[in-house]
Amino acid sequence: MGSQFTDWQGRYYHIDQVLDKPGPRTDPAFLAGDGVKDFLRNQAKILVIGAGGLGCEILANLALTGFKDIHVIDMDTIDISNLNRQFLFRTKDVGKPKATVAAEFIMKRVPGVKVTPYFGKIQDKDDDYYLQFNLVICGLDSVEARRWMNATLVNLVDPENPESLKPLIDGGTEGFKGQARVILPTITSCYECSLDMLNKPTAFPICTIANTPRLPEHCIEWASVLEWPRVKGDKKLDTDDPEHIGWLYTAASARAKEFNIEGVTWSLTQGVVKNIIPAIASTNAIISGKSRTLETTESVDNTHPAAACCNEAFKIATSSAAYLNNYFMLIGTDGVYSYTFEHEKRDDCPVCGGESLELSISSEFTVEQLIELLVEKQDIQIKKPSLSTPTTQIYLQAPPQLEEATRPNLTKKVSELVPPEGEVTVTASTLPFNLSLRVTYT
Amino acid sequence: MVEAQDIPTATTSIVADGQPDSKTRRYDRQLRLWAATGQSALENAHILVISGSATSTSILKNLVLPGVGKFTILDHANVTPEDAGNNFFLEGSSSIGKSRAEEAVRLLGELNDGVVGIADTSNVEELLEKDTSYFTSFTIVIAHNLEPKLLETLATLLWSDDSFPPLVTVRSAGFLAEFFVQFHEHTVVESHSETAPSLRIDKAFPALLDYSLSLDFSAMDPTDHTHIPYVIILVRALEDWKKAHDGKAPQTYHEKKTFKAAVLDLKVKFDEENFDEAESQAYRCWTETGVPSEIATLFQDPRLSSLTPTSPPFFHLLSALQKFTLEHPYTLPLTSTLPDMKASTTSYIHLQKLYKARAEEEKERFKTLLAVPIDDSVVDSFVKNAHALKVLRGRKWGTLDADHSLLINALASSPKQTAIHLSLSALSALTVKQSGDISVEALTAEVRSLLPPSSELPEEFSDAVGEVARAPTADLPNTAALLGGLIAQEVIKVITKQYVPISSYCTIDLVDTWTGVI
Repeated sequence: MGSQFTDWQGRYYHIDQVLDKPGPRTDPAFLAGDGVKDFLRNQAKILVIGAGGLGCEILANLALTGFKDIHVIDMDTIDISNLNRQFLFRTKDVGKPKATVAAEFIMKRVPGVKVTPYFGKIQDKDDDYYLQFNLVICGLDSVEARRWMNATLVNLVDPENPESLKPLIDGGTEGFKGQARVILPTITSCYECSLDMLNKPTAFPICTIANTPRLPEHCIEWASVLEWPRVKGDKKLDTDDPEHIGWLYTAASARAKEFNIEGVTWSLTQGVVKNIIPAIASTNAIISGKSRTLETTESVDNTHPAAACCNEAFKIATSSAAYLNNYFMLIGTDGVYSYTFEHEKRDDCPVCGGESLELSISSEFTVEQLIELLVEKQDIQIKKPSLSTPTTQIYLQAPPQLEEATRPNLTKKVSELVPPEGEVTVTASTLPFNLSLRVTYT
Repeated sequence: MVEAQDIPTATTSIVADGQPDSKTRRYDRQLRLWAATGQSALENAHILVISGSATSTSILKNLVLPGVGKFTILDHANVTPEDAGNNFFLEGSSSIGKSRAEEAVRLLGELNDGVVGIADTSNVEELLEKDTSYFTSFTIVIAHNLEPKLLETLATLLWSDDSFPPLVTVRSAGFLAEFFVQFHEHTVVESHSETAPSLRIDKAFPALLDYSLSLDFSAMDPTDHTHIPYVIILVRALEDWKKAHDGKAPQTYHEKKTFKAAVLDLKVKFDEENFDEAESQAYRCWTETGVPSEIATLFQDPRLSSLTPTSPPFFHLLSALQKFTLEHPYTLPLTSTLPDMKASTTSYIHLQKLYKARAEEEKERFKTLLAVPIDDSVVDSFVKNAHALKVLRGRKWGTLDADHSLLINALASSPKQTAIHLSLSALSALTVKQSGDISVEALTAEVRSLLPPSSELPEEFSDAVGEVARAPTADLPNTAALLGGLIAQEVIKVITKQYVPISSYCTIDLVDTWTGVI
């Protein structure tokens, strides 16, 4: 790369202070000076997942610290509500792909940095693509995408080839809270190991929504879950489309009026259907029967997790200082409180653990009850699971013919289909791996 | 600038399938955090930032984006090649030689049309000598790596009158940093506490008690029975219990267990979730609703005994609150926020109405206790947040370093945090005394001069001082970005008077990745 044309004298004055000398806690293997600078500026290749609130920050910080070959993937386009924090975008960019606009902005502002955008899904790329990077940083607001990326990087590890181990740095944010963590696939705890730390997604029982609404949120859920499909048929609800939100707002307002419920607003409607509000005041801890969990959380981003992520990327790429082991959380609602700790690897982690997950159920349990149990399990988090054993298809959600063929099994007892200690393979379209369960009966 | 419009206004003024205006849409996410009142405070603020360093522009970026009214960068320096390499709000080598304040203001301004940016190329030292009123006209002042003599003058000036703006001091070197917020007093009504106010089940107000006694659970239609809100179940069960127990709530472990079992016995079908909820919430019957201790402490505030008509409204409200709690039922005013619970629409809405009516009555009583007239919306918010009020009292910058006993305490209670603080203090003292390399020995000697003779330095000290000596003048982009996020957040808390800002030093170590307050 032609860095000599853009690297003016003094450009890296600040960064070089920590690259020319070790600190008291620096690993003795650190190669101070030209070697580490050459690796950082001419060889390291880094991938950023997400060009939203965290992604914009991450790209700017990486470019300034001297990474020069940066790739970024994002499947979204720019919305007006992004502009209050996604600082690489301007009003004129609304509607354009985030990855492309962000990449162009960084290249213009930080000379000599090459940012290669991909406007699409992470699932479009194969193992060879991911193998080319030294490091991956995730700045995502979707649990599903993170699980996929995590599982992909864990599966990429080939014990014979140290280069196949790609450190994953994951950032997350919500309001005044943020976190950063370092995942060394197969070595440290992975994203899947900590799934039970996530807040349980807000779930409203369908019977409340349909029959006994009490809160404005219940009316909005009724409008989006029941009324939209009833009136609009197969037309997909687009929560980014103001006309769709307007329709829901009108429907929810009418229902609220009918039930004497106050408080349905445009803003709340948007908040509930996009799950912007993480939770509502609810003591309704018992959620039974069929419930719907919301899949995405779009949050109010803060910038410090991105800074922490980039700092870890810089330390890993340069060995100039020890890196985070392995979890950093920061809460800023009451003073500044942070907590750094080592999250433990789970032996029965379905992605990196190797052991299958033990599940003890009653011998009277039906297949349908087992499915409901799996859907509600906080450490698994799946929707619409399909179940099979090495010899039997227990229940398959798709295609329709197989669903129909296996549907009679739903009312059968699991113990009729699976022997004690028997293995059940769980698959789901949202699950980037096959989950293996060992079933015992009580 | 467009007038701030709050969300309810924006959403009720629109036609059925219309949508909020573009400003409300742009600020949608943050309005969910600090609402229109916070936004309007932010839009009326004018912030001064001393220096156009990478850290300074990082802080400003996070204030310009959410729409602070005005900001001024005070910096007489021109952009050096070193500046152009680590600051995202300079345009690489093309900015070299131009005014750092002007370049940074121009590029920060592109982030938000609604914000006014001012580049002031005056010399801070001269201004501090000649025109002190310059500094006192801002909403808040932020200074990054300002040399100690000037910082001391500035801090003393802004501390000299309690109406002068708060000061945020920031120091950083390589992977280490600290910041401090100087203010006399900071009161918070909307602290966004996660603690919910009491439902007063143990001290049921007359309408609630009458209603729960008017219901004949056993004669109810089975569907209605499954939908009695747990609040009603508990009020009723507690009343029945008290009648049989000399008017006392369950007290011993055994009594509590018996009470819970009695609640579950009221079920007519095994799957009545409302009774399960009542059982799990039964602790509310024997947790006495009184004045929370944090709020009782506020009643001891010296401001209350010297209240005058011109005292801040907060203390008039606090005084009225104290009077309110001295009368029956010796609690804070009731709030009408009812959590969701298993119930039919009508039973829930009815219960909500009972709470609303009572909350309204108590608010009216509260108002009669006020010695001065105060705007209704302010009273509403105060009463609603009465369980989570905060009064913070700050210190002058430099108090810690000037007081041996405070330093000794800090070293004992927060050794690694204090190690960073002392190393950075030593660095700023040393930078003006000498040029060239900063050695660990020189820094350590400087730290020793701050401490009483023969004080022990903590184990962690060598880590901190070594890191400072390694990169004494490095304003690293990642450290700057982290400080930018944290400090902007504190500034927003101070300006909006929402959430709780820090009132001490926050130290940051980006080697081991932690933050800690002293």
